[in-house]
Amino acid sequence: MSEQWRLLLTGGNTAFVNMAVDKAILVAHSEGKVPPTVRFYSWVPPAISIGYFQSLLEEIDIEACKKLGVDYVRRITGGGAVFHEKELTYSIVIAESHPLIPKNILNSYERICNALIRGLQQLGIHGTYAPINDIVVDGKKISGNAQTRKMNTVLQHGTILLDVDVETMFSLLKVPNEKIKDKMITDVKQRVTSVHHVLGTHVGFDQIAAAMKQGFEEEFHITLVKGSLTSEEKKLTRKFEKECFSAFGWNHRR
Amino acid sequence: MRYHSIYKVPQGKLLKISLVYDSPTRTIHQVRITGDFFAYPEEAVELIEQALEHAIFERGHLKTKIETIIRTQKIQFIGVDPEGLIQAILNCKP
Repeated sequence: MSEQWRLLLTGGNTAFVNMAVDKAILVAHSEGKVPPTVRFYSWVPPAISIGYFQSLLEEIDIEACKKLGVDYVRRITGGGAVFHEKELTYSIVIAESHPLIPKNILNSYERICNALIRGLQQLGIHGTYAPINDIVVDGKKISGNAQTRKMNTVLQHGTILLDVDVETMFSLLKVPNEKIKDKMITDVKQRVTSVHHVLGTHVGFDQIAAAMKQGFEEEFHITLVKGSLTSEEKKLTRKFEKECFSAFGWNHRR
Repeated sequence: MRYHSIYKVPQGKLLKISLVYDSPTRTIHQVRITGDFFAYPEEAVELIEQALEHAIFERGHLKTKIETIIRTQKIQFIGVDPEGLIQAILNCKP
């Protein structure tokens, strides 16, 4: 019988709750209280997340975010700014010592991305891993990923783009000037794709989540069993949401 | 005086440096390392920033400081390397 991991379908939440849930699972798993966990989720309202090392004020146009009702949050993972709107976001939390997770960080990115690539295959999309942290289809990015390792535990989260709105994205990000902005929009349109663009049809969140579930099960030879957050994880989520991810001090620390 | 640089690490990520330089002593008063790179553990980058305070603004000196802290703190960088970090800092040179 294959190993059982937990599957969480937590639906749409604010940026602050989403990041708090990922950290809560990380802490709970590091203490041996919950099994390895894969979560699929979305962002309501839409949000921009920035990497741990990015400067909030250098990356995000806060006034534009407020005007469009877009949240912003600093992640505990490195990497770049991401506009979370039409996408499926996943996270995986698993012990560093788990035999299925390579010790080498880049190799572990690839292993986890392979689960997503298998999921994309279920949808008829042929993706390939593009180091450091992307999955591409015909050379265009369809998925970005970021990993941290804390308390001997791996947390990797990332996105599968369902559709892309480059104009809105760039209206929320700081760019040097309008001329460069136009060039950046053209450039990103050439370098980024989405499930909708590749297949020429809209695919719903649930269908993509089902495909990704199968991708994880095939890649890791495990069974994902639908579960829910424990009461302790819910408590930790509220704590991290309040004390960290919605706090000015955290989001403006760089 | 505060200086800035933006440096794309070859085959890597973008590094942005903001640095306060003290001309009389030729030292770094304060440095802030930002960008879309990865470092493990993440908090170690703040230790690098602290270690570079009052460091002499010179390649050899910066290299020794950065390599020492990377070794002692067992820092792993992805998308950036010590040489890229040194170059980004030196690019702030007035």
